[in-house]
Order: sequence, then structure tokens, then C-alpha cells
Amino acid sequence: MLYELVQSTVSGLLIGAAFAVLSVGFSLTWGVTQVLNIAHAAFALLAAYLGYFASSYFQVDPVLVLVVIVPLFFVLGVGIHQVLIKITAQRAHDLALSSMILTFGLAVVMENVMQVLWTPDPRVLKTSYTGKAIFVGPIAIATTHLISFVLAMLTIALLYVFVHHTLTGKAVRAVWQNPTGAALSGVNMGRVTNITYGIAVATAGIGGVVMSLIYTFDPSTDMVWLVYIFLVVILGGVGSVLGALLAGLIIGLTVGISGVFIPLVWVNLVLFLALILLLLLRPSGLLQR
Amino acid sequence: MLTVQNLNVFYGSLQALHDVSLEVREGEFVTLIGSNGAGKTTLLRTISGLLAPASGEITFRGERLNGLSTHDICERGLIQVPEGRELFPRMSVVDNLDIGAYPPPARRQRLQSREEVFRLLPRLEERRNQDAGTLSGGEQQMLAIGRALMARPSLLMLDEPSLGLAPILVKHIMEILQELNRQGLTILLVSQEVRLALSLADRAYVLENGRIIRSGTGRELLADTGIVSAYLGL
Ligand SMILES: Nc1ncnc2c1ncn2[C@@H]1O[C@H](COP(=O)(O)OP(=O)(O)OP(=O)(O)O)[C@@H](O)[C@H]1O
Ligand SMILES: [Mg+2]
Repeated sequence: MLYELVQSTVSGLLIGAAFAVLSVGFSLTWGVTQVLNIAHAAFALLAAYLGYFASSYFQVDPVLVLVVIVPLFFVLGVGIHQVLIKITAQRAHDLALSSMILTFGLAVVMENVMQVLWTPDPRVLKTSYTGKAIFVGPIAIATTHLISFVLAMLTIALLYVFVHHTLTGKAVRAVWQNPTGAALSGVNMGRVTNITYGIAVATAGIGGVVMSLIYTFDPSTDMVWLVYIFLVVILGGVGSVLGALLAGLIIGLTVGISGVFIPLVWVNLVLFLALILLLLLRPSGLLQR
Repeated sequence: MLTVQNLNVFYGSLQALHDVSLEVREGEFVTLIGSNGAGKTTLLRTISGLLAPASGEITFRGERLNGLSTHDICERGLIQVPEGRELFPRMSVVDNLDIGAYPPPARRQRLQSREEVFRLLPRLEERRNQDAGTLSGGEQQMLAIGRALMARPSLLMLDEPSLGLAPILVKHIMEILQELNRQGLTILLVSQEVRLALSLADRAYVLENGRIIRSGTGRELLADTGIVSAYLGL
């Protein structure tokens, strides 16, 4: 029992970092533009399929595919902002609601395209290190979990440095805290929101590859991931990089440890209950100052 | 330096400014007074490009500003300290100042500008790592002014910078503005501290119900008992 507890604590933490990187971009676009990008998880899933495709057809490691995915998804993010969000913002009265419906539609379209391209069958990523593990004493750490953890932490760290220590990153935070103040300080709002979307969708790509190292996926998995994303963002507070990391780790731990005591299929139920409790007790987020 | 000609601005069907014309010349200290709802904030927001005028022309150093976005206008050295300060509450004093230096021409001189701002407003240096949202009202106003100075403006517009502050702080802020003007900064000040603001002004305008109803030197308007008594109670 104790052994299982330690083992699941470790793997819970590793999984938690993946949840964090999957969610942090969603949190950024929500904070900066009040847009709930429901398609965020669909982009993550697309990246998972691209990694799967490259590794199964060209024997390229999915992690290496990120060299293509990250810049490609950055451009996609800018495109989403320019084409969908900006036009909606000009026409709609309630941006949050109409953008939610619009990006939900986009997610459905993407799911269907992925179903046509890759069939509804669940996929398992096979890499050269799948099934291998590192042992720390009696505790086994799957190499895939370890790699996904390192990748996730690296991404979060880079994002933290960007948002807190570069002028453009500070401008992102400024726009989200006070758009009028940012505009009057000479911040180019269009450019900053473009960059925010680019980075958000690029991190979704990383999140998708990282998740695919841990979980099997099929063309509708993005809706499950979306639940994790909502949990992380609401727990960690909208727009906060560190909040997303902490919340991701907490949820990873919850998933890991509750898996010891209850059947795995019930774990998502536990998460839903946690989400409802959270919304009732601390709607502004647990970790929000 | 700044010329506003026959400006008409609407909120929906409500007209907030009627044929407003005014001018600020290089090096001048110009004051704009007017009672609540006169349209002072509307005028400043229109000059900064946050509102689009229905008609009329705004030129700055010979260049037409109509249609430019707010960041383009800031880049040209026309900066505003807005009503209500509009700071970034969960960012430190230093980060708030850094954002002020966002316009590319100001970016390279960011560290030097920060030194200068700290020299002028030493209170900000003492609070440099504190979040803006936790500063006192007076400190927040200093920060709003400091952030605007980080852009190295050639014309600074201020919208009621002394609102809600203790008399001694009001005086302090006015002295700072006077000092900045002496150093060569052109100033357009909106204020309800009528007597003080008029005594500092080279020239002044009175805005009422969206129309400029009087203009003259600061001394002329101060001598006008009608104006002083009409606005002193505010
Ligand atoms: N966003 C808005 N929508 C509709 N009407 C507005 C809006 N902002 C201002 N107004 C109206 O326009 C007029 C001018 O307002 P403005 O804020 O420019 O006045 P002001 O001179 O700055 O007043 P104060 O001294 O109270 O700051 C007022 O009648 C106000 O009610
Ligand atoms: Mg006003």
C-alpha cells in the first residue's frame, strides 16, 4: 500500500506537469482577450496525431516533431486571432459567448477531419523508449513520463521567463490587467494579442505531444482534455503561469492518488466533483491572490 | 504643436463635443477647465485615438492624427495620464514603468528614463517592487505620471491628476508639473483645482456642455470673477 502510494504520487506529479502545459495557453488567451478557446484541446490533439503520424510513418521521434509543430502552431494561433476572434470581436456583443460557440464549432470540424485522416480507432504512441523505465530504489518511472515531464517543465519555465522578464511578456500581462492603460502606454494591442494567441496555440501543440506520451487518444479525446484544462485554469486562476503549474500538479496528484483507492473509471468523476466544489466555494480560483 | 479643429464626437446619438477647437503651442502650459460631464475626458480620449471623431481634425507637429491608432499616437510623443490612472494593479512599480517605455523610440532609453523618473518622484523608488494595486492614492498618481514620462513625451496631457488627493499632495503634483514644464515639456492639464491650475497656466480654455465657451491667458481667466466663482465650488 505504501509502495503504491509513493509510486502513484511520483507518476501523479509527472502527469500533473503535462496537464499544466496543456492548459497554460488556454489560460493566457482567456486572460488577455476574454475568449474561451474551446478548440485549444483540439489543437493539442492535432499535435498528438502529427507526432503519431511522423513516428509511425517516418520513424521520427514525436518529440523531435515539435521543431515543426511549435512554429506551425504559432502561425495557426495568429491566424485564429486574425480571422476568427478579431472578426467576432467587431461584430458580436458578447465576445466570450460568441467566441466560445465559434471555437466549439472549430473543434468539431477539427475532430471530424482527424477522424477522416486517422480513423476513430484509439492510438498509442510507440517510441524507441516506450515500455522502458528508470528505477529510483523500488520506484519505477516510465521513460515516456519522464520525458514528458522534462518537456512540460521546460516549456512552463520558458513561458514564465517570457511573461515576467521580457518587455513583450510584460505587455501581455498589462493588456490583460488593464487594456485601456496598456493602449495609452503605447502598447500595440493587435501585435500583443497576436503573439499571445501564437504562444497559446504553440503550447497547446507541446501539451498535445506531451499528453500523447502518457495517454492513448482518439479523435474525441480533446473533450476529455478540455475538462482537465478547465480544472487547471479555474484552480490556478486565469492568466497565471505559476498558478497553472501548481494546479496541474495538484490535479495530477489527485488523479494519481485516487487511482490507488478507487477504480480508474471513477477518477474523472472525482475530478468533476472537485470542479463543482471549487466553483461553489472559490469561483475566482484557489491560488488567485 | 497640437491643434484641434472643429471636433465633433458622439456616444451613439448623444453628442459629447460640439465644434471644439483648441491649440497648444510648443513649451506652453495649457489648462482646460469645465464642470462634471463637460466633455474634458472625451476630448483627451479622442486626441489619444481611443475615440473616433465624427468630424474635425487633430494635428500634432503638422501631422494629421485622425485614424491613427493609440500606439501610433504615443510613438509620436503625445502621451496621456488618464483619468482614474489606469495602472496595472498586479504588476510592480518597476514593471508599470517599463510598460510606459513600450513605444520603440523610448525603449532604448528605458533605464535612463527610469533614473530620471526616480529622481523626480523618489517615492516610487522606495516602492519599486511593490504591486501598483497596493500603493496609496497619491503614490498611484505619481506612478501614472512616472509611467507617462517613461515614454519621453514631448506633450503630456493629464486628466484630473489631483482628483481625490489631500491638498498638500495636490500642491506637490502641481509643483512637479510646473518643474517639468520649466524643463521644456509642453503640458495640457485638465483640472478642477481651478485657482491653482489657472495660476500655473500660460493659457486656458473653459469647456461647458461640450463647447469651448472661453479662452485666454491664465491670468485673464483668474481675474474673471464669474469663472472663478462658477467653478470654485466644484
Ligand atoms: N462611454 C460613454 N457612453 C455614453 N456617454 C458617455 C460616455 N462617456 C461619457 N459620456 C457622456 O459624455 C459627456 C462628457 O463626459 P466626459 O467624461 O467627457 O466629461 P468630463 O468633463 O470628463 O467630466 P468629469 O469632470 O466628471 O470627469 C457626459 O455627458 C457623459 O455622460
Ligand atoms: Mg473626466
